[in-house]
Amino acid sequence: MIPSITQSRRFTSIYNSYLVAFFIFLAAPLIVVAVFSFNDSMFPSFPWGGFTTDWFFSNQGEKTGIFFDSELLGSIGLSAGIAVVTTVLAISVACCNAFLFERFDFPGKAFLYILTLLPLVIPGVLLGVSILVFSSEIANYFEDTWLVELEFLRPGLTLVVIGQFAFITTICTLIIAARLKKFDRTLEEAALNLGASPLMAVFTITIPYLKPAIIGAAIVSFLMSFENFNTTFMLVGSDAPLTVAMFERLREGSTPVLNAISVLLMLGSGLLALINIGMQKKS
Amino acid sequence: MSKHCKIDLACENISKHFSGFTAVDNVSFTIPKGSFFSILGPSGCGKTTLLRMLAGFESPSSGDILIKQQSMLDVPPNKRPVNMVFQHLALFPTMNVEQNIGYGLRRQGVAKAEITERVAAVLARVGLADSGKKRVEQLSGGQRQRIALARCLVLNPTLLLLDEPLGALDLKLREQMKIELKSLQKEFGTTFVYITHDQSEALVMSDQIAVMNKGKFEQVGTPHQLYYQPETAFVAGFVGDSNRWHGTIISVDDSSLMLKTDDGLSFRAKVAVEQKLEKGAKVEVFVRPEAINVSRTAHSEDDNQLTCTVQTLLFDGANSQIIALEPNSGGKITVAMPQTSDFVDLKTGDQLFLNWSAAQTLGFLVESENLVSAVGA
Amino acid sequence: MGNLGANARLKLGLWLLLMPLGLWLLLLIILPHFELLIFSITDPEDGAFTFEFYFEFFTEPLYWRTFLRTAVMSILATILTLIIAFPVAFYIAKMLKGRSKGIVFAMCLIPFWVSELVRTFGWMILLRESGVISNFLQWSGLAAGPVELLYTDATIMLGLVYSSMLFMVVPLVSTLDSLDDSYIEAGYDLGGTNWNVIREIVIPHAIPGIVSGCIIVFMLSLGNYLTPVLLGGKDSLWFTEQIYTQFITRFNWEQGSAFGLLLLVLSSLIVWLGLKASGQSFTKTMG
Repeated sequence: MIPSITQSRRFTSIYNSYLVAFFIFLAAPLIVVAVFSFNDSMFPSFPWGGFTTDWFFSNQGEKTGIFFDSELLGSIGLSAGIAVVTTVLAISVACCNAFLFERFDFPGKAFLYILTLLPLVIPGVLLGVSILVFSSEIANYFEDTWLVELEFLRPGLTLVVIGQFAFITTICTLIIAARLKKFDRTLEEAALNLGASPLMAVFTITIPYLKPAIIGAAIVSFLMSFENFNTTFMLVGSDAPLTVAMFERLREGSTPVLNAISVLLMLGSGLLALINIGMQKKS
Repeated sequence: MSKHCKIDLACENISKHFSGFTAVDNVSFTIPKGSFFSILGPSGCGKTTLLRMLAGFESPSSGDILIKQQSMLDVPPNKRPVNMVFQHLALFPTMNVEQNIGYGLRRQGVAKAEITERVAAVLARVGLADSGKKRVEQLSGGQRQRIALARCLVLNPTLLLLDEPLGALDLKLREQMKIELKSLQKEFGTTFVYITHDQSEALVMSDQIAVMNKGKFEQVGTPHQLYYQPETAFVAGFVGDSNRWHGTIISVDDSSLMLKTDDGLSFRAKVAVEQKLEKGAKVEVFVRPEAINVSRTAHSEDDNQLTCTVQTLLFDGANSQIIALEPNSGGKITVAMPQTSDFVDLKTGDQLFLNWSAAQTLGFLVESENLVSAVGA
Repeated sequence: MGNLGANARLKLGLWLLLMPLGLWLLLLIILPHFELLIFSITDPEDGAFTFEFYFEFFTEPLYWRTFLRTAVMSILATILTLIIAFPVAFYIAKMLKGRSKGIVFAMCLIPFWVSELVRTFGWMILLRESGVISNFLQWSGLAAGPVELLYTDATIMLGLVYSSMLFMVVPLVSTLDSLDDSYIEAGYDLGGTNWNVIREIVIPHAIPGIVSGCIIVFMLSLGNYLTPVLLGGKDSLWFTEQIYTQFITRFNWEQGSAFGLLLLVLSSLIVWLGLKASGQSFTKTMG
């Protein structure tokens, strides 16, 4: 079971075939998605109509490649925008939270920490609807009482950002707090000792130390926001971010342009994943 | 301490209480400019708390800290003319050597060109002129030590605090760094306050040592004084090796007194004039192994004489020791093995004749806060 | 300055840091769920207290059956995921060293960085009537005509297990990593068999990882929306679908709120039971 304990050949071969099967299971859906993005057919399925890159680059006839599908391209831009705003917000609050939980003692800390973890176990759909209900109530109140229409509290991009921020902050807090926990506080004392003010010590010593975790959390946050469906789906208005746009097309049945955009997503997220893993190794 | 010495640091009756216990208990001392002052004590004796109060990371519950006659109580750590070499050095991992050393200067707002110049100068003085661009992880333990020192010394502090900085090094390197630290201190002329639990570090480097125990200073003196004239049983036991017995005074006369240890050995010790030792008083007795004369043939005249047999030989090169047994009483005594040809073939069971003077037998009354009796010396 | 000043500054810092946390938790987590509760017990006509939406849930078989079905299938998916993931996590944590360990672990992680939508899409291409597996079966002669593998409970289960695999593997690998090889060696040295050693040494050590993996996988399955809808089709009967239908299609927010709270109560209850049974704490397991 561990390398120093020899096992029977039969056991080893069964174990190894199991692992191979597992990795095929993991990779199979991704591989077929990628392969069918090059299928010269109107549907992402058999029969195989030959190799083509039309689903990426074609701009004429009945095939519209992803680089010319203005609707999908627009939704990518939208999702990226949402992801950037969400990430900036989530990282800022997460840094505050990390310092709060690692550096301060106050009554009710344990309780607040449980509340902080709570978004991890609230289903995304539920988080979405609760924020939808709450914001609509506030908007209704302002409309009825003050005759002010608060558009941003109605389903739309602002609500999507708010909804995603609500749970992504927890994840970022955990990542940053874990690194802050490993920080040796004598480094800050050394900075004070060398003449830095307490705030200066945090900015010149602690924050640079946290940088790998902050970048890692930002990558995770960006991807989680970009790929989020459940919460987003409950809060969207007329503008559809990428996942919602893809979902609609998937339900209708779509051309392999969906495969093409999936390939781009795989490349993008794979790249970010590798960067993130590399960052964790270095730190 | 001569009177015209300038005093760099004065602590006046400082105490530090934490909830439930007292870490530092009413300690006062002064350190003259340019000296190497060590605080020696076992872990948990309060020396780290004392040092952290000097640096400003803890504030004393009572008392005052004066640096160059100025009270430091209301001065935050970043405004004190004090720098510290931390136990694990606390070199900033996110910066290279140059940036580490320049950190304090940047905080003072020194011009860039001057920073470069001063950093290069201090690097050269600690013998690491080419290491400015290196990352901290690329340096050896001894080099890191020197960088941590340089990072403080570049700021010309009035006082440099060192918190057991040699603890993490291996034995050989530690021996070497002791000598290096001492010579750097002489060269820079900065006042060093060095805390350690390692008596050898303190003895080798210091001008003055304070031995600390349970939040109090037991004795302050030169290394020589601490070793040869310990004023308390704790100091006698903590500094250097000693045979240590509990015993009772069995007789007192004009010039000497007789002690009997609990395991049955009898010693004679000289009485100093002002001592008030009575028959039957309980004492702790110390005799250093190297103070005992060992002979294989016969006794020479001395205050204390024992005829023993070799029970165990502890071979450790030049530091080899013999544990000898006094057959009549069953008492044991450790003596240093002489490195002469006489003892080359010494083996278990051989007879030995031990003798030493009453002056080298130190007795301290048990259950007494203060020194009551130091016999001899 | 001095003592008092430092303390005052510390207090100020505490309050400044508490503010964003407090606002976030209060405005985005606590109040919205509280609002959901109010909604679910208020009659929309006259604003009076009512229990009719919960009553509706218990009297309409479609609702409570869907609810039970979702719970049971989520528990089943959790157990399956654990069984499938354990040998893999053990292999990564204990059999591999250094570079190869990093690579294999990354191979496990990277598929999950890709959107769930893309992964589900992949399964659709594999499993549908005109899909890869159906064609393979026909080509190999194992099936006479096209085989529809989508829209069954087994497909939903497959999708659930697949989509939450990572969240089981990661905590398992990290706890198994912390198990020193010498314990396993000692187990064998003292005469243990594979099974003994796994049961008495490895599993007890891995409990914290197993619990946190199970909690996350269970929550993800319970709250899953894409997998049942896309792989299970029209009749997938998943409770999140019911919530969506009430809110968005029927615009019956009161009923939807009641459903949402029931889901929340169910998930909290099962997580709590899991923690109690294994003697773990929520903070330790999740943090």
